[in-house]
Amino acid sequence: MSASVQPILSARGIVNRFGQHAVHDGIDLDVRPGEVLGIAGGSGSGKSVLLKTLSGLHRPNRGDVKINGTPVERIDETERAALIGVLFQQGALFSSLSVAQNIMLPIRHHTRLPVEQQERIAVMKLELTGLPVESGIQFPFQLSGGMVKRAAFARALALDPRILFLDEPTADLDPLTAGGIDELIGQLNRSLGITIVIVTHDLTTLFTVCHRVAVLVDRNITVGRVDRLMRSGHPWIREFLHGPRGQGAQHSAQSARKHSHGI
Amino acid sequence: MSSALAERRSPAIDIRADGQNLALSGALDIRTLPDVERALAQRPNQRKSQSIDLANLSALDTPGALFLCGLRKQGVELTGVRGEHKALLELICSLELKTLPKLPRVPRWREVIIAIGRGGEEALKDTIDIVTFIGRTASATLQELIRPRSLKLASISRQVAETGINALPIIGLMAVMISVVIAYQGVAQLRPYGAEDLTINLVAVSVLREMGVLITAIMVAGRSGSAFTAEIGVMKARDEIDALKVMGMDPMPMLVVPRLIGLVITLPLLTFFADVMGLLGGSITTQWLLHVSPMQSLDRVHEAVDTSDLLVGLIKAPVFAFFIAIIGCMHGLRVRGSAESVGRETTRAVVKAIFLVIVLDALFSILFEEVGL
Repeated sequence: MSASVQPILSARGIVNRFGQHAVHDGIDLDVRPGEVLGIAGGSGSGKSVLLKTLSGLHRPNRGDVKINGTPVERIDETERAALIGVLFQQGALFSSLSVAQNIMLPIRHHTRLPVEQQERIAVMKLELTGLPVESGIQFPFQLSGGMVKRAAFARALALDPRILFLDEPTADLDPLTAGGIDELIGQLNRSLGITIVIVTHDLTTLFTVCHRVAVLVDRNITVGRVDRLMRSGHPWIREFLHGPRGQGAQHSAQSARKHSHGI
Repeated sequence: MSSALAERRSPAIDIRADGQNLALSGALDIRTLPDVERALAQRPNQRKSQSIDLANLSALDTPGALFLCGLRKQGVELTGVRGEHKALLELICSLELKTLPKLPRVPRWREVIIAIGRGGEEALKDTIDIVTFIGRTASATLQELIRPRSLKLASISRQVAETGINALPIIGLMAVMISVVIAYQGVAQLRPYGAEDLTINLVAVSVLREMGVLITAIMVAGRSGSAFTAEIGVMKARDEIDALKVMGMDPMPMLVVPRLIGLVITLPLLTFFADVMGLLGGSITTQWLLHVSPMQSLDRVHEAVDTSDLLVGLIKAPVFAFFIAIIGCMHGLRVRGSAESVGRETTRAVVKAIFLVIVLDALFSILFEEVGL
């Protein structure tokens, strides 16, 4: 992609401090429309805080975040709902509502569509995220971990947001289920053209679905395509990507790619 | 970019008709969808065999595509579909949408009966649970008391500080307040009979026999009973109880017994403190309302009560403490898995403990009446 492409989201000079401890020190980040950007980093490097900052849930100590050129804190609620979707780590599905009701809640709040149509839209979201229609009347506690993630995906997509933020989408899942989620991320990105920002330390996700990766090290980020980051001289990034787990993920990513292209 | 932004800010759709053919321009998304549907519904007779031109459609989202797919299935032709919308339309049209299954509806009267049945079953289970838990706790406590060396003195003293010393201010204040209430009511009710002097007796007797211990027990049930459930419940939810078990440590003597012994020690002491504060508050209020001197008031209290009144109140305290601790710990150990469960069990524990305290108090009243105390 050329530099002339206008970023859909741009963050400038983000500083986040907790007490004396600075987590981010002047982070600049551009997210291009239609890309899948992975944010990686060690435990405690402030990945989730960065995600909350980018999605406007956390106000940084300094710096600003703009979505489509508007500062994120000045976007009104309806507009924000149409622009941003967030998939929380534990799903954050409302436990007192069924899955379909979870999806219909934001639709009901922001539109005046009749109930039957809301239901049709909810069923469509279930289909898009690969859930059987029967799971629509189930409650979150009745679902398995992978299904909770898919249901949370369906809810995050309820209003067709332009940017989807995913917080550790494959954490706590077995490798097969995690692979399914990776595939779903790629599918949604390709078919709906949604821009996706993923916070993860799952190397397979980084290698298979992310177009670019931002690595959080030393309170700042290094952004690039993953094959370029592989050649980075930074010791932590080298260790992270070239360690035994990194190599395993790379192999599985290559074989997955061969598989999907039928080579 | 700025024009695209303005478009999203105020999504608009324009429908133009040219005979049997319609043309949509603007954004067809979840917000403009109701307008389009209304506009199309107003042209029912022309709906058959028409075409819709989408060449000027600037934005299309999944509900919009779903709507267009529905029209296409009814035989409406979609023309001039833009390249960027083609993939989305194909994807959505290829989905086989079933209808959401309906939850089986249960008639209201059956729901009531089911609720009563469930309640009864739960009450039975609860009773069995409490009785079993009392047995287990009693056996664990006795085993500890037989071998005093195994008693966890440090944790007992921590419980005494936590449930007793920290509760002193609030319980003192409550006792004073309740005696003020009784004094005011007494004066108001007894004055027509010219017997308002008896208010001093009323306050002294009711505080010593009933109010002191009852207020203290209810306060402790709310304060410490809930804390027991929450502390043990969080440990249960985080597998800490299982960690104890797997390392060969029984949670009963580790967690339940110190709390039980601690509360059984504290509640009588707190009750005595509440009695003193209640008498003090009552005495000050009656002095003020009846214009008697402190010495007269004290004389009157001395006449009105004897040791048995004090003991009747105090003897109930350890029994209440025993049940408050048992209920709190039992509900803590009942927590399953999640954080909501901790909240639910805590509420249940407090309600049940206060309920039991009041029921036991009624039983004690009958008992003392029978034995003539």
